[in-house]
Amino acid sequence: MRSHFCTRRHLLRMLSAAGVSGALGWGNTVSLHAADLRKRGKACILLWMQGGPSQFETFSPLKEHANGGGTQAIATNVAGMQFAEYWPQAARIADRLAVIRSMTSKEGSHPRASYFMHTGYLPNPSARHPTLGSIVASQCASHLGGMTGDLPPVVRIGSRGRNDSGAGILGMQWDPFELRDAEHNPANTQPMVETDRHLRRLDLMERLDRGFAKELPQEVADHTALYKRATRMILSDGMRAFDLQDEPQSVRAEYGEGGFASGCLLARRLIESGVSFVEVVSNGWDTHQDNAAQVEKLAGGVDRPFATLVRDLERRGMLDDTLVIWIGEFGRTPQVNPRGGRDHFPRSFNAVLAGGGVKGGQVIGRTDTAGIEVTDRPVMVPDLFATFCKSLAIDPTVENMAPSGRPIKLVDSGKAVDELF
Amino acid sequence: MAHLQWIPCRFVALLGIALAFHAGMASGAAPVGICDDATFLRRISQDLVGRQPSPLEIDAFLADASPTKRATAIHRLLADPEWASTWARYFRDVILYRRTDDRAAFMAKPLETFLADRLHADQPWSHIACQMITATGAASEHGETAIIMAQMGETSDIAAEVSRIFMGIQIQCAQCHDHFTDRWKRQQFHQFAAFFPRVEIDRSPGQGADGYTVVSRDHDPRRSKKKPDNPRRGDLEHTMPDLNDPSQPGTVMQPLFFLTGQSLPLGTSDMDRRQAIAKWITARDNPWFARAMINRLWAELVGDGFYRGVDDMGPDRTAQSPEILDELSQAFADSGHDVRATFRAIMASNEYQHASRSRVSHEREGFAANCPQRLRSDQLFTQILAAVGVDESQVGNSGPGKSEKKQQSKKPRDTHAGRRQLNVPRAMFTQVFGYDPSLPREEIVGSIPQALLLMNSQPLSIAIDGDRRFTALGQLLAANKSNRDVAEQLYLRTLARSPTADEMKTCLDHVRLSVSREEGFEDVFWALLNSAEFVYRK
Repeated sequence: MRSHFCTRRHLLRMLSAAGVSGALGWGNTVSLHAADLRKRGKACILLWMQGGPSQFETFSPLKEHANGGGTQAIATNVAGMQFAEYWPQAARIADRLAVIRSMTSKEGSHPRASYFMHTGYLPNPSARHPTLGSIVASQCASHLGGMTGDLPPVVRIGSRGRNDSGAGILGMQWDPFELRDAEHNPANTQPMVETDRHLRRLDLMERLDRGFAKELPQEVADHTALYKRATRMILSDGMRAFDLQDEPQSVRAEYGEGGFASGCLLARRLIESGVSFVEVVSNGWDTHQDNAAQVEKLAGGVDRPFATLVRDLERRGMLDDTLVIWIGEFGRTPQVNPRGGRDHFPRSFNAVLAGGGVKGGQVIGRTDTAGIEVTDRPVMVPDLFATFCKSLAIDPTVENMAPSGRPIKLVDSGKAVDELF
Repeated sequence: MAHLQWIPCRFVALLGIALAFHAGMASGAAPVGICDDATFLRRISQDLVGRQPSPLEIDAFLADASPTKRATAIHRLLADPEWASTWARYFRDVILYRRTDDRAAFMAKPLETFLADRLHADQPWSHIACQMITATGAASEHGETAIIMAQMGETSDIAAEVSRIFMGIQIQCAQCHDHFTDRWKRQQFHQFAAFFPRVEIDRSPGQGADGYTVVSRDHDPRRSKKKPDNPRRGDLEHTMPDLNDPSQPGTVMQPLFFLTGQSLPLGTSDMDRRQAIAKWITARDNPWFARAMINRLWAELVGDGFYRGVDDMGPDRTAQSPEILDELSQAFADSGHDVRATFRAIMASNEYQHASRSRVSHEREGFAANCPQRLRSDQLFTQILAAVGVDESQVGNSGPGKSEKKQQSKKPRDTHAGRRQLNVPRAMFTQVFGYDPSLPREEIVGSIPQALLLMNSQPLSIAIDGDRRFTALGQLLAANKSNRDVAEQLYLRTLARSPTADEMKTCLDHVRLSVSREEGFEDVFWALLNSAEFVYRK
């Protein structure tokens, strides 16, 4: 593995020195390599709409009811499937998207709902439930017999939300590696000294720890291994994935402008480089006032990158193995409030899935014409998590131990939405 | 069993001997012997004030020939205000790592202030517990509201946490079904929860992210908690849901304490309920209140508790060396729950002062050896600052340090930006290194961001620069011609011991082969700060 890496690095250096990497399609080289790294393992990208996106101004428009708030519905490339007017790019790839319009839950507070939608469990002081990313990464790794690759297995891009939770009972090694944004290198990954000197320092550290290793062999071995992994990471070719400048201008343009666009592009690059799970956060969806105008603006930053991401993954042959999820904490009230806003509404909301074996171009479930009650095919949050597991070939009944000694299943008694596949 | 006085030191020393005797009677391995003086001083310094001893403290301690110097050193560090801060931070983590709502994260500071203040003032643990159980008021000014805030006022979650933190009994397992392994019935959990249904958190509009107030709601049902699917939520009395049909109103529960059977009538006011349960929990004859604290402190100081889980005990679990636990718990209760005296007693014991052995070693059976622990985030943070010679009061000031303004740096780096980044607040560090101190310690593992922060962050890289007058290393190099002396000092600053002959040779060889003396010692300093030995307390 190591020698393969070195060869490839040298090759790429030569190629880029010769100025031919663009012509040769650097992207393709990487994606082949990534597939090899993950041995065609599954991957997942979570597009998280922090604040709770309005279902009516996104993928569940209400045409013939006052609760629709005047938002127009537009046709998509699937007959009979309509989106809200702010999503023209998504409408062009609707045949790859499955929209669940019958999500239902009882959690209307941001922190609790955020925890619920990230872990599939309600918060409880006796156990920290693992976030979806940590579940996916640890399960992918256990399929492959351990952590693979030089990059962290779970990456979260965007400001840290509340109660989005970490690896919890799975252990810190599966905690999301957090980036404030996609434009800057992750913290402390720019080598502070030349590589040779860094390696000499590591060697010195190991030698000075020898005495202590006689007392605590396992702990010192773990410590040394961790430092080697961190070093391998910051010196690895994989770190190039974080450098969006590497991407051809045409691809950057296709993703569009803004932080979320950069996040989506980085997500694709990270998945290509062997990362199992990337979460990209879009902020500002808590539209208690001027809902329609605000969603128009927010969608302007999400629509194009979302659609491009799905197309890009497809083009690279990665969509079948990569599940893309678009969700937030909950939906928003059918009735527009006096300030033109919509408030929290968990009783019925929506979710969008693409890739990962999900059949696109379909709508699951419906609400009444006023957009209040789910009238067909209710999908609870644990059902959604069971669906994620089915897509990613994860056994939802795998148990982990809470500190109190109580076994906790990956998913709590949910049933996958089989029609999606 | 002899009744033990707690306050005078000589009796505490006796308690230590009594403990050793009991341990010898217990099962297990032959004691590994008492640790050496340097290890002892580092251990008590890390345990009591959250940092390694300074080179001056080490010199003085090693040179002291007095047979009572260990007791004197414990006494001195216990009197340090940093003792109260160190343990306030520990209990802050005990409470806030179990928060169900991140909106309560702002409680870290008020809670730490509250606990440090009370511990420093020698308030008994029972008083501190009562204040937390009966807390009301503006959360940002009343750290004692932290348990309630961490659970955002949820009745059942407050009950669960009060039981776990103060009695080490996880009765919340019985929330939905009778406990599988212990005696607790579902009804008993809900009777206990019935002490807390009238606790409410008011959100004051326009008061910012920390504008919460804990209040008693004794009259109108709490509308804020009403939910369409649960009409009973927010009622003035707690109800146990009907498991067969959750849409039914459930059973109204009368407040009743599961350990003693003491109860209150329905309709009792919030403050009367909470004062009653606080009194019953912290009563001198409630053995679980004393045992929960002793088990925690013993686990933290000796390596593991009498019960495997620090917060999972109770009458149906088996303790190891129960006679030590009972004796210490009884003495703790008899002392009026004196926290400082408990530290003194545990640290005087042979179990504490034994040399350490790996957690997996059989030589530790029956507390025959102490156990090395990974430092908690706050200890590590304080220890790094001490090693690089930066005072915490400087951290958090923005802008360049005074000394730096006068100095011309030879290296073309943006020193000001670096200096500002050195001002990483303790809280940021905790985000990377923190862990829930109630978890079994063998489950705590290192993470990549931790390694990256220690090995490759700009602030630390500047802090170990040998080329600058304001850094500890720069000053050491300027003041000492001898490389041997510099290496010795770096060892004392970081690992609080002298290097062995082999280690000295390794360091000197490395410096000799380096581009410059400065670079060579920067590497040595780096290696020591990043070593496993630095991160562990032995």
